[in-house]
Amino acid sequence: MPIRSVMTRLALCMLALPAAAGAAAAQPGAALVRTWCSGCHHEAKPGHFERISVIRKTPEGWVMTLFRMRQVHHLVLTDEVHDALVRYLADTQGLAPSEAAPARFALERRPNAQDLDLGPELGVMCGRCHSLARVALQRRDSDEWLKHMHFHVGQFSTLEYQASGRDRPWWQIASTQLPPELGKRFPFTTTAWSDWQKQPKRELAGRWIVVGHVPGGRDFYGTADITREAGGDYRARYALNEAGGAAIAGESHAIVYTGYEWRGRAALGGRAVREIFAANEDGSRIAGRWFDPEHSELGGEWTAIRADGAPQLLAVLPQALRAGTSGRVVVVGSGLGALDDAGFGAGVSATVVRREANLFEADVVVAADAVPGARALRAGAAAGQLIVFRQIDELEVRPAYGIARLGGGKLAPVAAQFEAIAATRLPGGALLSLGPVAAEWSTVSFDEEARRTSDDKYAGQMDPTGRFLPAVAGPNPTREYSGDNVGNLAVLASVKDGERTVDARSHLVVTVQRWVNPPIY
Amino acid sequence: MSELKPTNRKAELLLEAVAEGHAAEVYAMDTVAGCATTFDPGWEVDPFGGVASLCQPMEADLYGCSDPCWWPAQVPDTMNTYPDWDAGKPSAQNDWRELDAVFPKK
Repeated sequence: MPIRSVMTRLALCMLALPAAAGAAAAQPGAALVRTWCSGCHHEAKPGHFERISVIRKTPEGWVMTLFRMRQVHHLVLTDEVHDALVRYLADTQGLAPSEAAPARFALERRPNAQDLDLGPELGVMCGRCHSLARVALQRRDSDEWLKHMHFHVGQFSTLEYQASGRDRPWWQIASTQLPPELGKRFPFTTTAWSDWQKQPKRELAGRWIVVGHVPGGRDFYGTADITREAGGDYRARYALNEAGGAAIAGESHAIVYTGYEWRGRAALGGRAVREIFAANEDGSRIAGRWFDPEHSELGGEWTAIRADGAPQLLAVLPQALRAGTSGRVVVVGSGLGALDDAGFGAGVSATVVRREANLFEADVVVAADAVPGARALRAGAAAGQLIVFRQIDELEVRPAYGIARLGGGKLAPVAAQFEAIAATRLPGGALLSLGPVAAEWSTVSFDEEARRTSDDKYAGQMDPTGRFLPAVAGPNPTREYSGDNVGNLAVLASVKDGERTVDARSHLVVTVQRWVNPPIY
Repeated sequence: MSELKPTNRKAELLLEAVAEGHAAEVYAMDTVAGCATTFDPGWEVDPFGGVASLCQPMEADLYGCSDPCWWPAQVPDTMNTYPDWDAGKPSAQNDWRELDAVFPKK
């Protein structure tokens, strides 16, 4: 009998066993695994299930595993049981904060992030299809990594003749060299995890001060009132303000996995928002990224500290003012004492116009002859800085290399958001970053081949915020070979600074769709 | 080379091309660029960091990727994992709008 038929029958046999889903979800975690997984994953000793019990993963990693069990092995789980299994597995077989930290960019679905460098062999063997972050967000011992190699051959059987499978002894490398290396790099048993399991988990309820930044958009600040619900999950009520703009109210429901992995679903200013945050180990800070659930490439930074925490200046908005100008500056933080305007230094004066427990607003006047540089800003024991500058000398476009994807039909396009980061040169010669600035945006074909195929004409266009909006997918009969609207483009940013213009460029590849869209690429 | 005799028209053309000094062109034709060669970095970007050497239009070859499980992290493999992904959509060039992502949005 083919293996797949055996697996299917086993899964179906197993499905006949559990009681009603609601009752099953209420079971303790190990009992849930026994009920729903042990039909295939033998319970070799009490509470120890083959394969399952020797792997640690993030919540998203376990979601991907359960998805595969459903998709490939026809396991039928109610959402209630599925969610309970993910909670249990992430809580008891998760990653410690320090273990997840290097690859958090993948959990946060940061667009255009640079993947990890795990050396040439792992780069070729694993990183040619999926991110190395996906590898680094799992923990197994060597023998289990070897089974993982076998799984790949069984599930994706033609990988043998692709992805550098030819021209080298790839299976010898995959089966003898790499499992010990992976077991050494990402072992199942670690001090970090055992220490984290012993550490009491921090209660996150309370008032938090929030600041954030939306690439291509504005900064925001405000408060999050987090409460614990009866079932143990969290609810956050947001009162935010865009810097220089409107108030935004919202609410989030969040599950905290593994004692620190905040996964929230929020409605913010009428928009659905997904939150991928992490609390730090002492529970004094929550930080991460939020994004549009339909467009994970569109989102922003998010940092929160406890309102009653130690004196700390979280943000000064805007962070830079030009000499000879004035503006409203918002200072956000915890433990803020009186704003010490003497701290701004010569040539800068501030008048506080609004004062709240965690916020100052001040009208700041910078004299035309104020010396450029970073000015220390103090509010009691909380300290930060305000930058005074005379001119923009350099510009950098971030990311330096971006990917956008064509879309249409059932698949949404993937935009690419760029930002222009300005810097001023101080009299001493040092460069000082001024942060993001507004710019004029455009694209041109990147090289001779792209010019020949008029990529800049077909691939899409920039909007005024630096966001590239890709063209529609599908064969285009007006292009060579009826090609898709892909393109190899240079992104140009231009900032007018008085009589001068400062330019910078970046690289953008507008490419085809992908249909496999797991939470960890 | 003199020991080898062409057995079909294509082989004859190759030999003629070599005899006429076009060996480099023959070599270039023989180098697969764009779809999962040993030197190819990925589904999205060609070996030279651009898109000029990707299969174009991609839809012409899409089912040639999904059927034999090629680029399984980007294209659903209909060999093992997503056998019904393209069911009822016989032409990728005509039906690409109906092809959906495989992972649930939840």
